[in-house]
Amino acid sequence: MNWYQLLAIVSASICLISCFIHGAKIINYGKPKDYSKKRGDTEKSVRYSYTGAMSPMKKESAYLHLPTYIAGISYHIGTFLSLFLFVIYLIGIYPTGIVALVISVLLLISGLSGFGILIKRISKDQLRSLSNPDDYISNLLVSLIQIMTALVLYLPQAFPYYFILISIFFLYLPVGKLKHVVYFFAARYHLGFFYGWRGVWPPK
Amino acid sequence: MENLTKETIDKGLEVLDTLNDGKLLTHLNSCVHCGLCADSCTYYLANPEAKFIPATKVDLVASIYRKYNTFGGKAFSKIVGARTLNEDTTNEMVDLLFGACTMCARCVSHCSIGVDITYVIKKGREMLSNMGMVPETLQSTIDSALETGNNMSIPETDFVETLEWLEEDLQYEVDDDNAKIYLDQKGKDILYTLNPREPKFFPLSISAMAKVFYVTGESWTISTKMYDVTNYAYYSGNYNEAAIITQRLYDEAENLDAKKIVLAECGHGSRAFRWEGPNYIKKEYPFDVTTSVELLASYLKEGKVKVDPNKIPDKVTLHDPCNLARSGGIWHEQRYILNKCVSDFVEMTPHGIDNLCCGGGGGQLAMSEYNDRRMAIGEIKAEQIRATGAKIVATPCHNCVDQLTQLNVTFKLGIKIMTLGEIVADAIVMETKD
Ligand code: SF4
Ligand code: SF4
Repeated sequence: MNWYQLLAIVSASICLISCFIHGAKIINYGKPKDYSKKRGDTEKSVRYSYTGAMSPMKKESAYLHLPTYIAGISYHIGTFLSLFLFVIYLIGIYPTGIVALVISVLLLISGLSGFGILIKRISKDQLRSLSNPDDYISNLLVSLIQIMTALVLYLPQAFPYYFILISIFFLYLPVGKLKHVVYFFAARYHLGFFYGWRGVWPPK
Repeated sequence: MENLTKETIDKGLEVLDTLNDGKLLTHLNSCVHCGLCADSCTYYLANPEAKFIPATKVDLVASIYRKYNTFGGKAFSKIVGARTLNEDTTNEMVDLLFGACTMCARCVSHCSIGVDITYVIKKGREMLSNMGMVPETLQSTIDSALETGNNMSIPETDFVETLEWLEEDLQYEVDDDNAKIYLDQKGKDILYTLNPREPKFFPLSISAMAKVFYVTGESWTISTKMYDVTNYAYYSGNYNEAAIITQRLYDEAENLDAKKIVLAECGHGSRAFRWEGPNYIKKEYPFDVTTSVELLASYLKEGKVKVDPNKIPDKVTLHDPCNLARSGGIWHEQRYILNKCVSDFVEMTPHGIDNLCCGGGGGQLAMSEYNDRRMAIGEIKAEQIRATGAKIVATPCHNCVDQLTQLNVTFKLGIKIMTLGEIVADAIVMETKD
């Protein structure tokens, strides 16, 4: 194993432990205690929160902004694909032929989506005013990783740079907004619980 | 604003101590600054400036949280956008969290992540309240409630006099000298509450409910000491004061040995007492609590009230109070009532749990310094109403009635605004006496 692979493994471990600590804290604090008389079904509502309520037809943030929504979905799929490929590369499996081509095209699309979102953030006054350096760094880092993940399939000599980049990503993730990978699930849970308690969700 | 002392700042920061609050920890860490909630907020729609984006309001609180409570915020505050709690941030918080949010929660279900934006804004208001920075106008409404038992400081004698002439009015209307508005009676099934705007400005909404109770033969009473359903401390973020106000109504229900409290048509009041109240006083209620909207719907379903929709031939639309529908789960009942009681009911677009706030929520009606903003966001509601072509707007909330009345005048809508109790009362078919 090369030093850069080792670096990536250490960074990924630090990242996983940090995410675990974030998650453990949330779970440890437990369910919200509510003294009011429950009117709905919190279990169904939490399920709805992760499913029906996420439908693009239900959210203005999706159906009023379809290009951004589609870019966002593609970008997130690319991120998870990149993380999967990171593990594959570590094991020593390097897809070739048509599989490599399909992966590369997907990652190119998702990476470009990421850059598209970044350009939107830079070019729109209001989004710029809402953003802090973390927003740009996170976006740039993840987009670059997707492109690099595809690139190394055709340019194996770039592997050291790929592993260094992904190590930076792993170390940065728990510090900035990328940790929403954990908090997203907690937010959906809490929202589902809240609306379920009062009988707002799932809508009848 | 005078210089903030360390003690004041610490009091504000106490609220962000997430040590045992997983919900707060979650929502303070979840926003990704995508900005896609902007179009869901009437403040932004009326005035498309970055500061009115819901996420900007969340970030005001979250950035302060990051500064004092996270490794990233302490070590790399510039990079992660962590901010110090100081005069600048406090001023901004007062202006945006009090002055630019009706706490309608419309942004919440539309957020791409699921951040409970209103919950975070409420935490921000709680910080300001701890720091003694609640706008005076809002605080004076709370002080009135704390000092006199109702937020309009109506003296008990005036209140009783009003109810006495309303009783005479009721007797005349139903042609029965035994028709009563029961005051301070023990052991009744229902303790009926009021929004103090009713005895002060809209007494006919009390007669309307009294007529419904008369027709159903309900066992009910009003307390002359503690009838106020509102709780503006819910909006100020002062939960000690909110607990005092909640406890008083709780005590009165126990004192009068009532089986059930029926919350008058008031969005925030019903939310504050039914959903938040038990958490303010940290105990479950030993009595039932329901809203008058649910009660009216149940009377109609059970056939206890006979109505004729032809008695209200004008086109009617419905404004859903945010706290009752979106944050209280009550939006089918009011439609059931209207479908039974009026002959031409049309929906606004959007409606139900997606309805647009009228602009009067969040304590905005009490904070006159933000009147211009309130009317600007209200214009969106006014146009929504105009588009329906309705002549009557029904709404089960007296705060909304107040805001809609102002919108009616300002934007020349030519509508009549009615509560659901008034609609049902007007549609009632009285059984003829032999
Ligand atoms: S709660 Fe309503 S007013 Fe407040 S930020 Fe959200 S949409 Fe805007
Ligand atoms: S939509 Fe949600 S995640 Fe996006 S900026 Fe608004 S509050 Fe934050």
